[in-house]
Amino acid sequence: MGNHTYELLLALGVLSPFVSFWLLVFFGPRLGKPLAGWVGVVLGMGVPLALSSYVLVNWLGEVESGQAAALTASALRFQWAMIGPIAIDIGVKLDSLTVAMYFMVTFIAFWIFVFSVGYMSGHSDEVAGKSKYHRFFAYLSLFAFSMLGLVVSSNLLFLFIFWELVGLCSYLLIGFYFHQRVPQYAQMKAFITNRVGDFGFLIGLMLVYFQLGTLDLDEAAVVFAQQYATQTGIFASTFTMFGWSLATIMGVGLFCGAMGKSAQFPLHVWLPDAMAGPTPVSALIHAATMVAAGVYLVARVFRLMTPEALMFVAVIGCLTLALMALVAMVQTDIKKCLAYSTLSQLGYMIFGLGCGAWIAALFHLITHAFFKAMMFLGSGQVIEGCHHEQDMRKMGGLIRKMPFTGITFLIGVLAISGFGIAGLEIGGIKFGLGGFFSKDEILAVAYTRSFEWEEGDFSKHQEQGDGHGGHGAIDRSDENDRIRLASFGQQESSNLEVLASGTQADHGHAVEHGAENPHSTNEKHSGHGTAANAGIFANTPKLPKWMFWLAIITAYITPFYMMRCWWMTFMGKPRDEHVHEHAHEVPLMYVPLVVLAVGTFVASYFLFRPLIADASHVGSSAAMVMAIDGTAHTEAVHHAHVWLQYGVGGSFVVGFLVAIAIYGRGLALADRLKRVAGPIHTLLERKYYIDEIYDLVWVKGCVALAYVARFFDTYVVDLIFNSLASVTERLAAFSGLIIDNQGVDGVVNGVAATSLDIGDRIRRPQTGRIRNYVLITAGIAAAVIIGFLIWGPDVGGVPIAVAGL
Amino acid sequence: MLTIGLTHYLIVAAVLFCTGLFTMITKRNAIGILIGVELVLNSANVNLVAFDRYLGSERMDGQIVALFAIVLAAAEAALAVGICINVYKNLATIDVDSASQLQG
Amino acid sequence: MLMRFSRKQIVLLIGVMLVGVSLASPVALADAGDALAMDQTGVTSAEQLGGLIEAFVFYFVAGATVVCALGVCFTKNIVRMAVWLFGALASVAVLYFLLAANFLGAIQLIVYAGGTLVLLIFGVMLTSKSPWARFEPSKWETVLAIFVCGALLAGLCMVLCSATWPGVEGTVPGVSVEAIGRKLLSVYVVPFEIAGVLLMIVLVGAAHMARQEQD
Repeated sequence: MGNHTYELLLALGVLSPFVSFWLLVFFGPRLGKPLAGWVGVVLGMGVPLALSSYVLVNWLGEVESGQAAALTASALRFQWAMIGPIAIDIGVKLDSLTVAMYFMVTFIAFWIFVFSVGYMSGHSDEVAGKSKYHRFFAYLSLFAFSMLGLVVSSNLLFLFIFWELVGLCSYLLIGFYFHQRVPQYAQMKAFITNRVGDFGFLIGLMLVYFQLGTLDLDEAAVVFAQQYATQTGIFASTFTMFGWSLATIMGVGLFCGAMGKSAQFPLHVWLPDAMAGPTPVSALIHAATMVAAGVYLVARVFRLMTPEALMFVAVIGCLTLALMALVAMVQTDIKKCLAYSTLSQLGYMIFGLGCGAWIAALFHLITHAFFKAMMFLGSGQVIEGCHHEQDMRKMGGLIRKMPFTGITFLIGVLAISGFGIAGLEIGGIKFGLGGFFSKDEILAVAYTRSFEWEEGDFSKHQEQGDGHGGHGAIDRSDENDRIRLASFGQQESSNLEVLASGTQADHGHAVEHGAENPHSTNEKHSGHGTAANAGIFANTPKLPKWMFWLAIITAYITPFYMMRCWWMTFMGKPRDEHVHEHAHEVPLMYVPLVVLAVGTFVASYFLFRPLIADASHVGSSAAMVMAIDGTAHTEAVHHAHVWLQYGVGGSFVVGFLVAIAIYGRGLALADRLKRVAGPIHTLLERKYYIDEIYDLVWVKGCVALAYVARFFDTYVVDLIFNSLASVTERLAAFSGLIIDNQGVDGVVNGVAATSLDIGDRIRRPQTGRIRNYVLITAGIAAAVIIGFLIWGPDVGGVPIAVAGL
Repeated sequence: MLTIGLTHYLIVAAVLFCTGLFTMITKRNAIGILIGVELVLNSANVNLVAFDRYLGSERMDGQIVALFAIVLAAAEAALAVGICINVYKNLATIDVDSASQLQG
Repeated sequence: MLMRFSRKQIVLLIGVMLVGVSLASPVALADAGDALAMDQTGVTSAEQLGGLIEAFVFYFVAGATVVCALGVCFTKNIVRMAVWLFGALASVAVLYFLLAANFLGAIQLIVYAGGTLVLLIFGVMLTSKSPWARFEPSKWETVLAIFVCGALLAGLCMVLCSATWPGVEGTVPGVSVEAIGRKLLSVYVVPFEIAGVLLMIVLVGAAHMARQEQD
């Protein structure tokens, strides 16, 4: 592989869907119904998938041989523009996280594209009598372009541009059936809610721009660390707001963007409504990729976060994961149920990042993307098969009609519930699915931060590290890394072992590099400065205990509502004959399901965990991640971790049993419970009345404000102007009669009459005969010359001054 | 008088100019006026070339400008003849004095 | 159309053309003088001879020019006017040769005599019921025109004669066509192109204006 091959391949993969987009926009109608879709599949996602697979395989090799860090450091950058003194680069952020995310997005999106072809063949694609089929795939391609661009952006500005583009695509796709009322409102809601978050994002961006003086992700991190070390720049500011320093506000501002896009409480309201869009869209955008962009953003700007900002992140994440899980328990719409489960899981990721579990959160992001996309596609298949019925109360017993869908959906349920048996190993591989590993790890870190952590713990780790001659901190965390890899792969498939050693190698390289020239220009793109960054986390506070308890209780709720959802849909007796009769499966739709199910297994174990761990060395505040994430595996905490494994591992058993106990025999018991729970149930069913509150505060508030303004306008402003007007009117009447009619008009009329008279006289010489004009002109010329000769200045016989000759 | 200088040429040009002017004034035929215009243009060209010959530093610019003038004169003649034909079509005569609709 | 020319007119045209050629022939003489003067620089007699020949040719051609121009002025007949004009144009071409502007002289002959004049004659044929049609100006108009033009000419001549000019006297080498071409396509390339475009527009415009209405 050449020096910049990866960047170029990734960039090519970004552009391919863009080409597909324009192709479909202009030639889509001519390509017709199935063909336009296949163009989207092949060009929009097939090419990027091929490229990303190639990159992934080779990148694993690079990581293995220790070349990855060097490649990351020397990634391509082109100067795109100068804004003031600050250069805006366009480039590819090339590291393991990018590669992992890129592959995840392309892989999932490709199968969703395939699914879409099947889905659209069964759905009406006509609006006002015109086919919008090609438009669907054009939007999907545009989304693919924007999402991939977001993933590879090396620059916050470009990240923001693509960020807004995915928002636009989300808007367009939610409202794909824009002739109906519900999608219209849903798309507006999504867009406006996202604007609220993006406002914060913009504030964050401006602070980065003005305080750090760069928008490049790596550069900004270096500058941030340096400014902390010297207490200059953003840290010199004494500005505070809500008790936050400017640096914290920057972090919180950037996180606000993530709150909007990743639908964190209290900006989560748009995501459930976004389910009005076509199901593949829900799977792709509102479950797997776009909503994960917020998490991805926080991971990318992790190095710009202060402990206070991270605490805010953790609080928001924690609230989201708990509140949304509760709402998911009472949903009856299959897509809404999945939407709230997505919200809850996104909360987990954000919470993980807030705790410092960088690796675990991103690992959860990727495993979640696989199984959640799969479940959404499954729900799409169900809805499609059931004649557009989304109410789970009318389903039931569908497993016989839809075996593939039912089984893959069950795999998703198991994965999200953290299915696995702690301590059980089959063939050297630990027995469990994606959620089992990732959620468990987030909780372990949360446990550490809540119970084992003392303020200043972090600096202790730093000191220990210093004892090992500067490399210690990292070396130690390498140990941890190996422990972690071992604990997840346990009997090390040789692949993992190699990877682990690979990370070690490139690690050392990065640190050495940083130690040698901490202030050199090389730093610009090398993405360390992580060691210097450590200082800011020295006083990372302890996490409140309630956060951990909320997280672990939610871990028990998750299996309950997921199993409830599955059971109501697929098991039991059919509750609606009409729906049951109609139910069927389409190969084009269940093949992606099966592939994604397999992907869920693979993603749980192999590729991604080591890749993200590798990325964490350069992609986050490595020292902090190591220290916090790593602490979970020190001897003292390891015990707690093992205990947690059983705790979390057991959660799904409890959740499943409760769900089956309640819903096993139809809905009778559930109805009775509903009556018992009464107001609580209603509170959950109405989603804590948040929509109503927003309506009351913002919408009604606006309207009320408008009424006040109108009142003011009518009775105060208008009064003033009306009285002014009447005074003016009187004045005008006076001036009109006396001054105007007699004075001004007299002058004007006089002038007009005079002009007319003069004009009448002047027109006589205008004979219209061209020869007369020539004669007059010549006569005047002759008169001038002769006049000049006779009366002109006497210049000594040279009347014509030949000036300049 | 035997040494021919700039003034000689300029006087010839002046004569050409004045005859052209006279032609324009006295001829009622539109084509006749056009012929007068050609004479005037020629006098200008003679001036240009003469100045170029006697005063020019590189002795070319004047010629080239004259060249352009000839080209434009040709174009102008073509258009003018077109106009004459149109006038003739509309008024059934080519007497410019009868084409005086624009009089005040 | 040519068929409508009488034999007399054709003879007249050919005769005028012969006159033009004979007017142009002194150029060769002048060039010879130039060459003589150039070859034997410093030889006074040759220079004087060249100067003499040049003066003779100039007066001859200038006279022809003035006569032809006056002929244009005072002819009532439009076709004869065109013929006189040809004479004037040809004489001016010879003046160009005398001014060492050989290329321009050639162009003058080709474009004016070959193009513009023919165009004028076509115009005459297309616009008059009879080629010999006359429109007389009023008497007082003619008198006034003579007065004005005479005054202008007198004024101009007085100015010209009283002015002194710096600059080159005597003979100068002609400018080669190559040099003109180079300059035309380098320094003057933009006006050159614009002129080209203009010609094309004129071509289209004239064709449009003159075309027969096909209703």
